[in-house]
Amino acid sequence: MIRAIFHHPSGRIGGGIVLVYLVLAGLGALGLTPHDPLMQYRLDRLHPPGAAYWLGTDLFGRDIASRLMVGIGQSFFVAFLSVAAAASVGTVLGLTAAWVGRLWDGVVMRSMDVLLAFPAILLALLIVAIMGPGTWTSVLAIAFVYMPIFTRVVRGPALSLKTREFVDAARTFGSSTRYILTRHLLLNIVAPLTVQVTLALAWALLTEAGLSFLGLGTQPPAPSLGLMLSDSRNLMETAPWLMIAPGVTIMIGILGFNLLGDALRDILDPKTRGGRA
Amino acid sequence: MNLLTRRLATFPLVLIGVSSLVFFAIRLVPGDAITAMLGTEAGLLTDAQRAALQAYFGLDKPWIVQYGHWFWGLLRGDMGISVTYGKPVLTVILQRFPLTLELALLSMVIALLIGVPAGVFAATRNERAADLAVRIGAMIGQSTPSFVFGLLIIYVLSAGFGVLPVMGTFTPIWQDPLANLGQLILPAITLGAAFAASVTRIARSAMLDVLGEDYVRTARSRGAPARTVIWRHALPNALIPVVTLSGIEFGYLLGGAVIVEQIFALPGLGRMVLDAILQRDYALVQGAVLFVAFNFMIVNLLVDLAYFWLDPRIRAGGQ
Amino acid sequence: MVKQRGLNPLSGVAVAALVGCLGLAGTANAAALHMAWSQDATGLDPQKQTAFSSIRLLELIYEPLVRLDDKLAVVPAVAKSWDFAPDGLSLTFHLDPKAAFSDGTLVTSADVKASFVRLLDEKTGAAARSNYLSIASIETPDAQTVTFKLSQPDVPILAAMAGVNAAILPASAIADGSVGTKALGSGPFELKSWDPNAKEVLVANPNWAGGKVGVDEIDISVLPDETAILAALRAGQIDMALLNDPLVATLVPGVAGLKLDRTPSISYNVLQLNPSRGAMQDVKVRQAMSCAIDRKAVLDTAALGEGQVTGPITVPAYATDPSTLFCYKPDLAMAKKLMAEAGFANGFSATVIAATGEPATAAAEAQVLQSQLAQIGIKLDIKMMELNVYVDAWLKGDFDMAVALNGGRPDPYTMYNRYWTKTGNLQKVANYVDDTLDTDMNSARVETDPAKRKAIFADFEKHITEVSPWIWLFTPYTYVAERSNVAGFVPTPTGTLFGLSAVTLK
Repeated sequence: MIRAIFHHPSGRIGGGIVLVYLVLAGLGALGLTPHDPLMQYRLDRLHPPGAAYWLGTDLFGRDIASRLMVGIGQSFFVAFLSVAAAASVGTVLGLTAAWVGRLWDGVVMRSMDVLLAFPAILLALLIVAIMGPGTWTSVLAIAFVYMPIFTRVVRGPALSLKTREFVDAARTFGSSTRYILTRHLLLNIVAPLTVQVTLALAWALLTEAGLSFLGLGTQPPAPSLGLMLSDSRNLMETAPWLMIAPGVTIMIGILGFNLLGDALRDILDPKTRGGRA
Repeated sequence: MNLLTRRLATFPLVLIGVSSLVFFAIRLVPGDAITAMLGTEAGLLTDAQRAALQAYFGLDKPWIVQYGHWFWGLLRGDMGISVTYGKPVLTVILQRFPLTLELALLSMVIALLIGVPAGVFAATRNERAADLAVRIGAMIGQSTPSFVFGLLIIYVLSAGFGVLPVMGTFTPIWQDPLANLGQLILPAITLGAAFAASVTRIARSAMLDVLGEDYVRTARSRGAPARTVIWRHALPNALIPVVTLSGIEFGYLLGGAVIVEQIFALPGLGRMVLDAILQRDYALVQGAVLFVAFNFMIVNLLVDLAYFWLDPRIRAGGQ
Repeated sequence: MVKQRGLNPLSGVAVAALVGCLGLAGTANAAALHMAWSQDATGLDPQKQTAFSSIRLLELIYEPLVRLDDKLAVVPAVAKSWDFAPDGLSLTFHLDPKAAFSDGTLVTSADVKASFVRLLDEKTGAAARSNYLSIASIETPDAQTVTFKLSQPDVPILAAMAGVNAAILPASAIADGSVGTKALGSGPFELKSWDPNAKEVLVANPNWAGGKVGVDEIDISVLPDETAILAALRAGQIDMALLNDPLVATLVPGVAGLKLDRTPSISYNVLQLNPSRGAMQDVKVRQAMSCAIDRKAVLDTAALGEGQVTGPITVPAYATDPSTLFCYKPDLAMAKKLMAEAGFANGFSATVIAATGEPATAAAEAQVLQSQLAQIGIKLDIKMMELNVYVDAWLKGDFDMAVALNGGRPDPYTMYNRYWTKTGNLQKVANYVDDTLDTDMNSARVETDPAKRKAIFADFEKHITEVSPWIWLFTPYTYVAERSNVAGFVPTPTGTLFGLSAVTLK
């Protein structure tokens, strides 16, 4: 599997980026950063990038490079966890809704409609009001926002696949429902699902930024990419590096996930497996 | 149309769900219209004053009574009065809705015009330089938060060229189409850029899927021209996920684009809901969420109908 | 700045087309002033609204009996002159015979009486009522004279009447209940239209007793993002704007054609401790915190140095020089010693709450304070809250510490009796009872000699910084940015926009 990824052109780049990020986040978590990410160097506030501070310092004189390393960990933790929750719950709901149909389909899809219809901000605000702001609240809020999307994305193709010949064939051959659901339906939905997951990871990172923009995300002084980005907006002219560093980090991170996702999709998808390589 | 009637029949159910959820959830958030109006000065109120204000804002009865009152009003088509606007809730919403609708349409047009051709183009050149370029472009579009993109546009235009759209107001298209476009084009580009990026990616991926399908291979092996295969045979099927995505995004946009409306100071639905939440204008929050939910369901219904139209297999299967 | 040569020819054409499209918008009327602010008014009832965002709009439309000038001195408004009786038990106002509401009807003593009766009526729900409780009765000997009979001498009541919460409303509007839905006042402007959270249009009030105002119309747009406000100023779309965030305001002077008025405000940034909780019950711990905090560093970092370190009293006429107050010079050794004496040599953990964006510097202040208090072992957990959630917790006194921006009043008694007297309405928020503070406040209320009042307030200030229930940090600036075509605006420490009545456009 890992070999397959590294044989795939975009898999190589994407995998490399993700690996580098994981290493950076790991070093950050172990405290192996150039400076203490929370240390405020009062005399070096808003210091441009240079030898002492590779990516400059922020309003408080904290080292941006160190904060980025810790922030990558924080942001990807939130993004991964929320997407994992949203995708797994959403997929189960979507698959079963398509397969069982009738009342269950109605109940699931109507509940998803209720959630989807809520403006995301309100949903987030309500969850924060109940739980108080913080990392876990962000995870829950983002998961809630994206769960209905996964449900819908899975249910659509599943409905269409349900009527296909090979599923009918499997049914006539007496395959169990669980076998059909996991082997035939899920396997065939893996491709759109993988793409959706990589898209959702990108969205989750952005949503985390949006929540931080509204003060509902990661609580200061802990860094997250979104918080760093939203904190930089009124300093855009004074200290552009404050926006560029987390902005580019988010961008490359998303690029990495997407390229990796594309590669995974090619590798996992039985239809394209032989065709390309 | 069996599906149509069945789905329409579920509308009231979902609306009741949404209305109850929003009604009680918004009241669970600490603070009320009194603290929103008075801030910390609310602490100076005597008990009698507080009671008078609670009666004024309709907060003096138990929640369940308030809910019954509100629900009874809804049945008669009355969503209540907004305390911040001093007008009926529906009037306030309908004032803000044209902007939101137009902005959503404009962004979707921009997104589809860029996204679908770009996605198809990239799929036909899978893993080659052009494909990579499109994908990287899409990812940059996708990974830039709208507040960063919007602020950069505003900054570049105002500091570099000394121009900016008139902000803070909205001229309906039927009054002055040019002024209208001037106000909406930048926010629409900001929203459309991220939207287009998603469309590109989904279109590319779906197209790759479809190009691998047997019937497309068959068509190809029969010697049909590449152009016909792509646009006639492959695209309609590849459009299904694009329609799903666009439907969901469009539905979201109809709920208002809070951050973009905030940055470009557009008086749309999204900012209205956010302000209503911040000001604890319960009637307006409830009415607006219900309105947004209704629109969302209509859009979803249209998406489902589009499945029928686009996917002959579902049609044949009679689901 | 944008590097033009960086653009390729194609995008140049695209931008030119866009510019052409946008350029059509907005041709200005010569006598219309275009303004912007980021927060809109929340309502039109001048007696009930307390948010600064509402007050600055309503002060243009309504007038109180008296107002404050840029030195915080009491000057005439609806009333031309006033005097306290020698026993301090009555206050008489003589109205300006020309004073008229914008519909042309004259302001009479009956309107004044009706306005105060409404303000004092608990059914109205006006929070400001608590400032006028010493009014026992109101007499109107003739159409131009009003006498307030007081139940006890009340010197601060005059300055308290200088706010728009004590605005004079037409008796007819009070009778028909249209106050709050229709704005009818005697101020320099009339409200022509109001689209909440979007836009308001004011036109000059031809009947204003103060004379002719400098502009015919003021259009105010609500632009929630301050970076966008700066952009609109740059593009010449607006002439004048209010700014809150020092990070944005400090950019204004660097832009050609723009100027910035910065006025020291009388509001104050403060770290409110909760002396009823945990370690903070011990006065030594509170003192240690006061000694450990470097107020100047908080100001320099969180607000780019935009403001002034302040003691509790922010009104210049009564304020003590902050450098003479307890531990205003940071003293870490002393702080550590005090912590050890209190038995907290290893510090303690606490939560500090702050409101998102209110003030703009709140999150930054919390982070600097956190790092400073870490030096004496105090571990702060920062909780940023949506404003209303914060206010709810604040009013209940449900916090260990709170970063706050509290409003100032022209008289220190009106400003602080709510917190530091035993009967204060916000005693629950302060959570601190102290005999000296109570005595000082109550004697300042009845003392008429300004020199003696100043001495009382000096004692109050010295004592409260020593017992340190709160740690006062700095007063911010209020900012008004103007294009060079705007002339004649006079800012004041209260942040009122009344000065707009004298503004002209070149």
